[in-house]
Amino acid sequence: MKSQYIEPFKIKVVEPISQIGKNEREEVLKKAGYNLFNVPADKVMIDLLTDSGTSAMSDNQWAGLMMGDESYAGSRNFYHFEETIKDIFGYKHVIPTHQGRVAEHLLCSIVVKPGDYIPNNIHFDTTRANIEYAGAIGVNCVIDNAYEPDIKDNFKGNMDLNKLENLIKKVGTDKIPFCLLTITNNSGGGQPVSLQNIKDTKKLLDKYSIPLLFDACRFAENSYFIKTREEEYKNWPIKEIVKEIFKHGDGCTISAKKDGLVNIGGCLCLNDSDLARKITNLLILVEGFPTYGGLAGRDLEAIARGLREVLDENYLKFRINQIKYLGDLLEEAGVPFVKPTGGHAVYLDVKKFLPNIPQSQFPGQALVCELYAQAGIRGVEIGSLMFGHKDPTTGEDVYPELELLRLAIPRRVYTTAHIEYVAKSIIEVFNNRDNIKGLKIVYEANILRHFTARLEPI
Amino acid sequence: MLHSTKERVTTVKEVVNMIETKKRSWAEPFKIKVVEPIKKTTREFREAAIKEAGYNTFLLKSEDVYIDLLTDSGTSAMSDYQWAGLMMGDEAYAGSKNYYHLEDAMRKYYGFKHLIPTHQGRGAEHILSQITIKPGDYVPGNMYFTTTRHHQEAAGGKFVDVIVDEAHDPENTFPFKGNVDISKMEKLIKDVGADKIPYISLEGNVNMAGGQPFSMQNLKELYQLCSKHGILIMLDATRIIENAYFIKVREPEYKDRSIEEIVLEICSYSDGATMSSKKDHLVNIGGFLALNDDKLAQKARELLVVYEGLQTYGGISGRDMEAMARGIEEAVQFDHIRARIGQVEYLGNKLIDAGIPIVQPIGSHAIYLNAKKMLPHIPQDEFPAQVLAAELFVDSGVRSMERGIVSAGRNKETGQHNYPKLELVRLTIPRRVYTQAHMDVIAESVEAVYEDRNKIKGLKMVYEPESLRFFQARFEKL
Repeated sequence: MKSQYIEPFKIKVVEPISQIGKNEREEVLKKAGYNLFNVPADKVMIDLLTDSGTSAMSDNQWAGLMMGDESYAGSRNFYHFEETIKDIFGYKHVIPTHQGRVAEHLLCSIVVKPGDYIPNNIHFDTTRANIEYAGAIGVNCVIDNAYEPDIKDNFKGNMDLNKLENLIKKVGTDKIPFCLLTITNNSGGGQPVSLQNIKDTKKLLDKYSIPLLFDACRFAENSYFIKTREEEYKNWPIKEIVKEIFKHGDGCTISAKKDGLVNIGGCLCLNDSDLARKITNLLILVEGFPTYGGLAGRDLEAIARGLREVLDENYLKFRINQIKYLGDLLEEAGVPFVKPTGGHAVYLDVKKFLPNIPQSQFPGQALVCELYAQAGIRGVEIGSLMFGHKDPTTGEDVYPELELLRLAIPRRVYTTAHIEYVAKSIIEVFNNRDNIKGLKIVYEANILRHFTARLEPI
Repeated sequence: MLHSTKERVTTVKEVVNMIETKKRSWAEPFKIKVVEPIKKTTREFREAAIKEAGYNTFLLKSEDVYIDLLTDSGTSAMSDYQWAGLMMGDEAYAGSKNYYHLEDAMRKYYGFKHLIPTHQGRGAEHILSQITIKPGDYVPGNMYFTTTRHHQEAAGGKFVDVIVDEAHDPENTFPFKGNVDISKMEKLIKDVGADKIPYISLEGNVNMAGGQPFSMQNLKELYQLCSKHGILIMLDATRIIENAYFIKVREPEYKDRSIEEIVLEICSYSDGATMSSKKDHLVNIGGFLALNDDKLAQKARELLVVYEGLQTYGGISGRDMEAMARGIEEAVQFDHIRARIGQVEYLGNKLIDAGIPIVQPIGSHAIYLNAKKMLPHIPQDEFPAQVLAAELFVDSGVRSMERGIVSAGRNKETGQHNYPKLELVRLTIPRRVYTQAHMDVIAESVEAVYEDRNKIKGLKMVYEPESLRFFQARFEKL
């Protein structure tokens, strides 16, 4: 199989990587408590832990870094940042934050009350943590197909309107301060949401006067899927599709570390002026002055430039096809993964990959460790370790429906040869999968345990 | 007044002379490698700009400012070594090599066990307050700082000022106006009980007192008292290196000790520190919480992933952690710190010679104009410091900051303004950014405004945010 894409850039700066020996990797794993979050980055050959903050910036962005205006108040980079985001997303208020989870935190602190319900297609881990920290409950309302890794649906991130409406009817509108829609839907395999579904969701919410906010981290990737999969929009420029999406919302949280093509930064956009004012007051307390929000001026500039670059259709075509290429290689070898491939990662279907390890023994995490031990590749578990918890009423262990291993591809960082190495390594692990054993937890924190947990082989 | 000011200067000089007999001039221990153009504007332009900004210098656009003395926070010029470090950013989400470098640097120069990186200092304050303070607790400190006090109060604590009385008198030239009044601390322990005091927040070069240091002697006494009662000492270590410089030049016992050694000794008498690296560490973004206690550190890391980021990046990029690690190495160099404080003293002495009332002794990072004295005809509730900052901008395009009644906010119970004893305008000097000629321009502008002081009228507040009002409040001329 040949790669179908060509990078729409050449390489200007490189960062050396190297492979340590297999014995050393096994030592490293042991020391890290079988949690790859604890592994030093220089012990990793190909780092697919996340696509967040790991992009290669362009020379244009680096030049922007040199143009940082580091004034505490009124930095010109902020005005550029603000103007760019208003132009692309169309919201009235732009509140900069040092990263996306802070935008979520600010929003939840001001708007969410204990006992509230926040629907989403599927909540991501930090989103859910922020909602729960505010005493509310996050509810996933994605379509059922999202949980069927083998069904090739074009828009597996779509909201199931019946589920959403049932929730509204059950708990009442006053218990739902807003509804989120994550585009693309990360925890469900980086799957897009269609514009039709966005419109329908908005219409339903309007009926009950519930605001719609986007978790917009990967808005450009979602827009590319709309362009290539939703007939009506095939001749629309990406920028127009983006406008069309956000027109149907009341605001959004953005981690610019994804489609912003930067290493740090985020923001919260809102139309509601009163809410924006309240949040700005809190921003100063926890983040920084409203014209920098906890970011250096140069980083605001890099975001402004990155958000323009990501709208380039050639870039998006390369990006989406690089992921697809990895998927195609795996499919040929019969490795089970979530289909179709999403916008930023390939998600191995661990329930099928390791059917003999029960979720109580963290098969996803076990596979993450094996892939690192065998090939020096770092992926991340999105399954029983990340989302498993005790039911608050029965005390029984609850496991997520999907047990996935995410191989997130950083933007503009790895070449075709790297992708092929990753595919070959996974296929090898797949062929020897019977050797893999489960894990047990020996330490866990109360919230977001997957970041700091320590495990041992059983 | 001129006479008495000079007399006081002599007292400070005496202290310094005891230690340093041969006074040598300083010059910048660097040359300039990259420049950033600045814009000069007309008086008419500036009058319109400040009006549009509601007479609040925070609301000016930075490109309309000629010399920006709003803050020394995040405004430093980085070195070529730091910029090279920026290019060496390891942006891995977990286990970035820059994190380990920063951890090494923190341990080497500050000596604490655990590093918890945060996007800036207030991120560290937020986490420290959340993990240590229970509702009903008291948090003593050597004078408040705006964001620090807010985090303490948000966690249910009550701030108690235990700084020495001298700190509240802008003309008192006591060399260690950042000291804790040990008897105030003892009284607080007696009144509320040590178990209601999770820690004392000890700030180096106390910002709100005019950048005034504490002495090592005072810290040792405090340490003894706190150890006896099991009260933690948490440093606000933002400008602790500058504080160490004053210990070296004002405390005879320390004159032959290096800045490095003094900083380590300070930290050895404490249990942890919050740090905004945007000051001493010569970077534009970043900070950390440092702790010795394993359990506290674990709690802090659990909160860190919610508020800031994973434990090996805490909300800052890899490259910025690298710049911090390198900045710490540079910040403890004696030549650097002497030139830094030398520049502030140069400006301060020029103003003193011109008869301008400023807070004395001269602090490390800023000159504080005594607005109460400069504009005695404007009552405090007409915001004399706020209007002075606005006038200074109109005169020359120099941007400064109010540190008086607007910053002090309102009393939570009565709803009235807090009337602080100090009504100041802060001229904060960014590190390694401006030259001696810039200092001359600033001094001349202050003098010009002072000469015309009788024409200056007060302000009224037309928009007031609920918290930290100084950032966004708007005013009109009376």
